[in-house]
Amino acid sequence: MSILKTHDLKKIYGTGENTVHALAGVNLQVETGEFMAIVGTSGSGKSTLLHMLGGLDRPTGGMVTVDGKDIFSLKDEELTIFRRRKIGFVFQNYNLVPVLNVYENIVLPIQLDGNRPDCAYVDSIIETLGLQSKLQNLPNNLSGGQQQRVAIARALAAKPAIVLADEPTGNLDSKTSQDVLGLLKVTSQKFSQTIVMITHNEEIAQLADRIVRIEDGLIVAR
Amino acid sequence: MNVANRKCIRGLSVKSMRAARSRNLIAILAIALTAVLFTSLFTVALSINDSFQQANFRQVGGWSHGGFKYLTLKQFEEIKNDPLIEQYGLRRFVGMPENAPFLKSHVEIGYSDINQAHWMYCDPVEGRLPTEDSKEAATDTRVLELLGVEPVLGNEFTMTFDVDGTEVTETFVLSGWWEYDEAIVANHVLIPHSRAQAIYDQVGIGSGIGNDGMTGSWNLDVMLGSSLHIKQDLSKILANHGYQTENSSAGDNYIPTGVNWGYTGSQLADNIDPITVVAIAGLLLIIIFTGYLIIYNVFQISVSNDIRFYGLLKTIGTTGRQIKRIIRQQALLLSLIGIPLGLLVGYGVGTRLTPVVLSRLNGVVQDTVSASPLIFIGSALFALVTVVISCRRPGRMAARVSPVEAVLYTEEMANKKTIRKAQSGASLPRMAWANLGRNRSKTAITVASLSLAVLLLNMTVTFINGFDMDKYLSKMAADFIVADAGYFQVGNMWSAERALPEEIITELEANPGIEAGGRVYGKSSPVEEFVTEDYYRAMYGAWNDQETLDNSVAVAQKNEAGLLADQVQLFGMERYALGKLQVLEGDLSKLHESGGRYVAAVYSDDDYGNPQMDSNWAKIGDTVTLRYVEEYEYYDPETGKILDPGNMLDDRPFRYRAKTYRDIDYEVAALITVPHSLSYRYYGADEFVMNDQTFIQDSGTSNIMYYACDVSDEGTADMETFLSDLTNEQMLQFDYESKSTYAAEFDSFRNMFLILGGVLSFIVGLVGVLNFLNAILTGILTRRREFAMLQSIGMTGNQLKTMLTWEGLYYALGAVTVSLLLSIAAGPLLSNVLASIFWFFTYRFTVLPILSIAPIFTVLGIAVPLMVYRTVSRQSIVERLRETE
Repeated sequence: MSILKTHDLKKIYGTGENTVHALAGVNLQVETGEFMAIVGTSGSGKSTLLHMLGGLDRPTGGMVTVDGKDIFSLKDEELTIFRRRKIGFVFQNYNLVPVLNVYENIVLPIQLDGNRPDCAYVDSIIETLGLQSKLQNLPNNLSGGQQQRVAIARALAAKPAIVLADEPTGNLDSKTSQDVLGLLKVTSQKFSQTIVMITHNEEIAQLADRIVRIEDGLIVAR
Repeated sequence: MNVANRKCIRGLSVKSMRAARSRNLIAILAIALTAVLFTSLFTVALSINDSFQQANFRQVGGWSHGGFKYLTLKQFEEIKNDPLIEQYGLRRFVGMPENAPFLKSHVEIGYSDINQAHWMYCDPVEGRLPTEDSKEAATDTRVLELLGVEPVLGNEFTMTFDVDGTEVTETFVLSGWWEYDEAIVANHVLIPHSRAQAIYDQVGIGSGIGNDGMTGSWNLDVMLGSSLHIKQDLSKILANHGYQTENSSAGDNYIPTGVNWGYTGSQLADNIDPITVVAIAGLLLIIIFTGYLIIYNVFQISVSNDIRFYGLLKTIGTTGRQIKRIIRQQALLLSLIGIPLGLLVGYGVGTRLTPVVLSRLNGVVQDTVSASPLIFIGSALFALVTVVISCRRPGRMAARVSPVEAVLYTEEMANKKTIRKAQSGASLPRMAWANLGRNRSKTAITVASLSLAVLLLNMTVTFINGFDMDKYLSKMAADFIVADAGYFQVGNMWSAERALPEEIITELEANPGIEAGGRVYGKSSPVEEFVTEDYYRAMYGAWNDQETLDNSVAVAQKNEAGLLADQVQLFGMERYALGKLQVLEGDLSKLHESGGRYVAAVYSDDDYGNPQMDSNWAKIGDTVTLRYVEEYEYYDPETGKILDPGNMLDDRPFRYRAKTYRDIDYEVAALITVPHSLSYRYYGADEFVMNDQTFIQDSGTSNIMYYACDVSDEGTADMETFLSDLTNEQMLQFDYESKSTYAAEFDSFRNMFLILGGVLSFIVGLVGVLNFLNAILTGILTRRREFAMLQSIGMTGNQLKTMLTWEGLYYALGAVTVSLLLSIAAGPLLSNVLASIFWFFTYRFTVLPILSIAPIFTVLGIAVPLMVYRTVSRQSIVERLRETE
């Protein structure tokens, strides 16, 4: 069953001579529980695609369906709420809230939704990611790898339909990158979590179940 | 090593400034507001000083720095060109009219050159000063009015006056006139020099000096380079020409001099009481502090936001000193716009406030708004100092940054906290609270800046609230008091000339509203009492130095018992006024006995009504011997020769003693205090009260000092109208005071403080709000990415707005709480200080202003973040996420 589908997804920036076709009609399907990597060079449109998948930006044409829902039929506020329930983000530069400690950062999306965290589930994520001893630390006191692990935990905590990871190891050294990716893979399997990761690094992409290549705004190979 | 890099640094500083428009705008406004505060304070202070000085000059009758008196022509010619003299003016006194219609006026006829006339306020509003070799003369409207001459140029008038003992009658043609100024004692009739000389020739003085030592002499009034050391300069000028002014009997090189005390008496620091000095210093500090709070905050925030930029500069080799200079130059450039703006606005505010203050200061009739360059120089300097102080710490912070750290720097590194013990997760209010903790100094200063305004407002209101009308009115013992206008004016002595005629009282008493009333007779003949030397010394010791005191004791007349004669002040009071006295001890009923010889001894009290028991020597049952003097005689203390009072030499010592007199003994029946409004309104001698009949009988005088009465409530308005009409329309020389004029005076006094405090609080409040705006604005702008990230993980716009609103509300709540606590803490202290300065102050605790400000702050706390957020939310999440720092 496809948890995520795009149909002829287009995004055009600018007008006239400056027109850039960031996405030129992308059709993509992601199955439940799949760990997929989207690989592309810089400027290939992979980040734009990820933003579209996560509902951060609206497309010029086409549609995105998540869990059977056409996400761009939602209004902005609805989309945000949909996002926090269905989608977890992991950014290249972690993007943790500096004034909240590790635990607070992890449960923030759940609390923003007005729910109590599922403690057992959150604890098991924390344990899987090896963050038990850091729960009260503020982000500025953590290494890059630790911060990224917190970001992954945060993305998983609300049991989203999909986790979208945007170059999650882009700021990490290769050893740490391996650790983080390993954890990503483990969680994907352990929690049957659908993960879409974008990267420019073929080697990293190899860890995924499936690799999709994007060039000039189009999917070129499966 | 000195490298020519200033230009490069300047370029950097200007360019990095361009990148910070909203900061610049806020900084300029902050600097301008600070300058506004300084300028308005200085304008008011200097205007008051100027007005005092002007008032002094008018009392003195001129504004020349000083003068040399009674010179011969030769001395005059010799001294006038001394290099220390900037400008000189000549006056030669001719004579004074002594008969009707000039009985009550001080009119002088004489020659003044154009400088001297100008310095004496003799500036014709129409016409001009008299020309030489003509029959012309110029004078003021008062003299013309007394003469019954219309102020029309060319009108002739004739005056009879005394010139050194000879009566002269002369006719003049009016060449110019100026308005009469009641504050100036002497009225002048100015005549040409040729005419003056003709009159001297006529009475036989010729080119010499008259018997009085004055008529025909040459008086040289001068303006010096500076008013700071007039006395020394005058002595130096005399010394330059071999004269001296110290010792009149040391030789014939003595020349008397006069220093215009209008200058020395009105130096702000010299003469204004310490409370005012402290108040001004306090205000200056508050302003500096206010300015510091915001300017510092603006730069601190801007530096911490641009810290990566400074780190980059460090990396490429900019030194800490250069970075400091960059920041200082930015501040100075912003001052270049902010300060002139503030000076202009501040001067406007100051000139508006000045009349409000001046109207409340006694003795100043005309408002003078100072435009002294000192105001602008001083304000600009103070504002600049505030700016420089304020940007020092931010400068140090930017200079200290290490290139490596700067790249990693995020706001919360300012505090070293790494652990946050919270397990329950984050709620929006809690996140907002945590956000305020990111830059604690910013939060603290913003809250302090807001609180300061609220605190000032609360203090102002507490102060105004404490003005107790009942206490104030308690000093006004009667509903109405009617007397000669001079009686009410500060600095005037009462004498027979100021007596209230019986006709006015008759007219007054015809008013139906009067419930009770009575006359009070004032002393208009010389009366002496006899006191011990110890008491005499104690009484006068307070105002005089030891030498003067010894001298007075030596000169004083003594009676057979060895007691010293001293002037005494008497009241003759009708029953009504006696009833208004405050009895400290004894019983006033004996005073009512007609034919009895009883007096009440007057004790003075302070503003708070506490009697000073050492202010009179007489106790109950004591006998007071009063000597009613009919005639004094003058004698030379060395030779014992009796002198002719009409013909005494200025420089010979003389003494006087009672020649014919009556001594009457009285028994002290009561010790009392006289309410200020019923007293002579000046103090200088022991005072006794007796009943009206005894007074008239014993003193042989019956001059009414004032008439006081109580009026029924219904009759008050009528009486007010009647008296206002009587004194303002019909008989200008009389005036009155009523409870309602006191109430009005009280109100305007209170309003003055309300306006001053209100304006101050308002501007400081503006600064606080500006600071708040800046804190919120920068707080939101620097977190644009963070907000986008929060939104990407599922924070809705509304949740974000709620969080920001909480931040705003915390500021507001913080300001209200802090000012509330400070007000409660400072209240008792403030009340003590104020109650000791203002006798009519009753402390009433209030936090009403704070509570009424709270809603305004709440609205601001909600509105400002929302407004700022709107501008941020125009950018899409993706745009903000991609924004690299």
